Amino acid sequence: MNSIRSRLTIGLLVGFCVLWTGAATALYLYFRTGLLAEFDTTLLANAQALAALTHQRNGIFELDFPGEFIPGFEGGPAANYFQLLSANGKIIDQSPSLGVSHLFPSTDSTEILQYLDLTLPDGQRGRAVSLRFIPQGNEEAPDSQLDKHLGASVILTVALHRAGLDHRLGILATALLVVGGLLAVSTGLGVPLVVHRGLSPLQEVAEHASRIDVESLQLRFPSSNLPTELQPICGRLNELLARLQASFERERQFSADVAHELRTPIAELRSLAEVALRWPGEPAASTSALKETLEIAMQMGTIVNGLLSLARCEAGLQKLDTVPVRVAALMREIWESLADLAREKRLAIFWNMAEDGSMETDLALFRSILINLLSNAVDYSPAGGSIHICVKTETVPWQIDISNSVTDLTPADVPHLFERFWRRDPARSASSHSGLGLALTRVFAKSLGLEIAAYLTTTDVLTFTLRPGSSIREEATMKIPTST
Amino acid sequence: MRLLLIEDSRRLQDSIGRGLRKSGYALDVTGDGSEGLWFAESNSYDTIILDLMLPGLDGLTILRRLRQKGNNAPVLILTAKDTVDDRVRGLGLGADDYLIKPFAFEELLARIQALCRRHYERPTALLAVEDLEIDTAARTVRRAGKTVDLTPREFMLLEYLAARRGQVISRSEIEAHIYCDSVDLASNVVDSAICSLRRKICPDGDRPLIHTRRGMGYILESNPP
Repeated sequence: MNSIRSRLTIGLLVGFCVLWTGAATALYLYFRTGLLAEFDTTLLANAQALAALTHQRNGIFELDFPGEFIPGFEGGPAANYFQLLSANGKIIDQSPSLGVSHLFPSTDSTEILQYLDLTLPDGQRGRAVSLRFIPQGNEEAPDSQLDKHLGASVILTVALHRAGLDHRLGILATALLVVGGLLAVSTGLGVPLVVHRGLSPLQEVAEHASRIDVESLQLRFPSSNLPTELQPICGRLNELLARLQASFERERQFSADVAHELRTPIAELRSLAEVALRWPGEPAASTSALKETLEIAMQMGTIVNGLLSLARCEAGLQKLDTVPVRVAALMREIWESLADLAREKRLAIFWNMAEDGSMETDLALFRSILINLLSNAVDYSPAGGSIHICVKTETVPWQIDISNSVTDLTPADVPHLFERFWRRDPARSASSHSGLGLALTRVFAKSLGLEIAAYLTTTDVLTFTLRPGSSIREEATMKIPTST
Repeated sequence: MRLLLIEDSRRLQDSIGRGLRKSGYALDVTGDGSEGLWFAESNSYDTIILDLMLPGLDGLTILRRLRQKGNNAPVLILTAKDTVDDRVRGLGLGADDYLIKPFAFEELLARIQALCRRHYERPTALLAVEDLEIDTAARTVRRAGKTVDLTPREFMLLEYLAARRGQVISRSEIEAHIYCDSVDLASNVVDSAICSLRRKICPDGDRPLIHTRRGMGYILESNPP
């Protein structure tokens, strides 16, 4: 029963039932009260007419009952009844229709006017009014002082058959029951239909959602012709789908790249081994095959280690061991291992480095970042190109810029530089680079509270900028010793 | 049989190249796409082994250009790209086979043999000329039920002659298909190989099957016209 449609349907059905029942009851009570009031008015008029005929003379009460003028009290079917009692309950007079029977109103009540339902002498239901009054002819006890002269009062009770009233009330009740039944049936049929139609946009959205799976993330929820309540939900879902699609595409590309990066060395390894086993050949060939095998193993190890480092850093499992690091000294130390290659490529190196900057950071990660940036600058600079290394410690925040000449790099390529396994060369044939270096650099930088950005300074100069991230961590703040 | 390997991995060039040469194939190797296209357009190959991701010119472009120019050399795509889309695209552009890295060298060899067979419109691996039976899959030769021992190069020469049975094949064609470009123009390596092959398949005065057409070349036929 955990569906909106069921809940809404049941709620509406119960609500309508209560509403119809309440309305029918109220209607019945309203008409019943009206009919009863009308009946009571007739009853009272009869009683007042008889009261006007009651006289007292010398302590004796008399009712000048003209039976020929009021034949209803004479007898016969559906006859009316009256009975005149003295204050002490003694019957003074009664209608011929009563015969030997009596009406028994309460004589204890001091009420002037009292209505009551009773069973008439003929066994049918009736309604009576008892009127306490002081008959005419007693000047000493006006009506206004009746309570002081109860002993001089009489009680006139007039009773009428109420079959007509009950019949009308019965017709009313039946009519209300029939109409109520019809309303209940139409409600029972209409409510589910209305609920179904009302919830159909929600159903459409649900059906649309059920069609979306991993293979169809390009689908979007319709944004037009939707109820206003659903529009923001579908809008957010579409945004979520777009992000999910981009994420899945990245993951797919990553998986394909990993597969490709590992397939090629595995193919090399397998082919090498199979050919070597089938044609063992001379010792030199075997030595060469073993050397190649070692190189392939190391290449695969680099890829796997890179992936593991990425996964560890992204999961926040990389342990940081912060120590003071002198940036300029570290840069020069790293450069020593790259200087020979830079000389071979006849690269012009320009240093602009403050020598006195130091920072508290994890040396291993920070070193990896600088090694990646500097080795990339050397590897990807064309022969005869130039590299600019600039460490600005006087600015806040501090900043390290490493620029190098590039060829064939377009502004469209720059956003992809930090993607895992992205390479400018579609053939992916540069075996010395796995395509993980810059991805690792960015993740390492993030772990250290740094941010790294790349941009083309000119069409042929690529610059990497390293500086504290927007949420600057304390250890990422460069400390400049004050001059003494 | 002469093959072209267009593969940018130096290690795969070395290992596949070594294996194919040891199997008796004449092989040209290049790691650059543009150079590979030039090779394919300049020579007649019995099979081209083509990587897809290549520097210079990608494999699919090479394939498209070859087919556009009417070059119908069998092409086997050898790549790490393994999706159905990649395979469909490659085969749709005219590749004859598709092998995904990593691969078994035996399988590569078997596929190359199958492509070479198809190239010469041979449905089976068995070639027979009179009582000479050549099993190109098992790489065995029998004459009158007796096994004939041949070197890989001799086997390849015999297979080539048998594949073009009844056709006169010039020395230059044999050089191109069996010896690649490593043969000195003035050398008599083809004549020597034919002579050696004749001795092995026609011992003890058996009926000769390889005949010389003076000034034209050689023909393998049971009853030469």
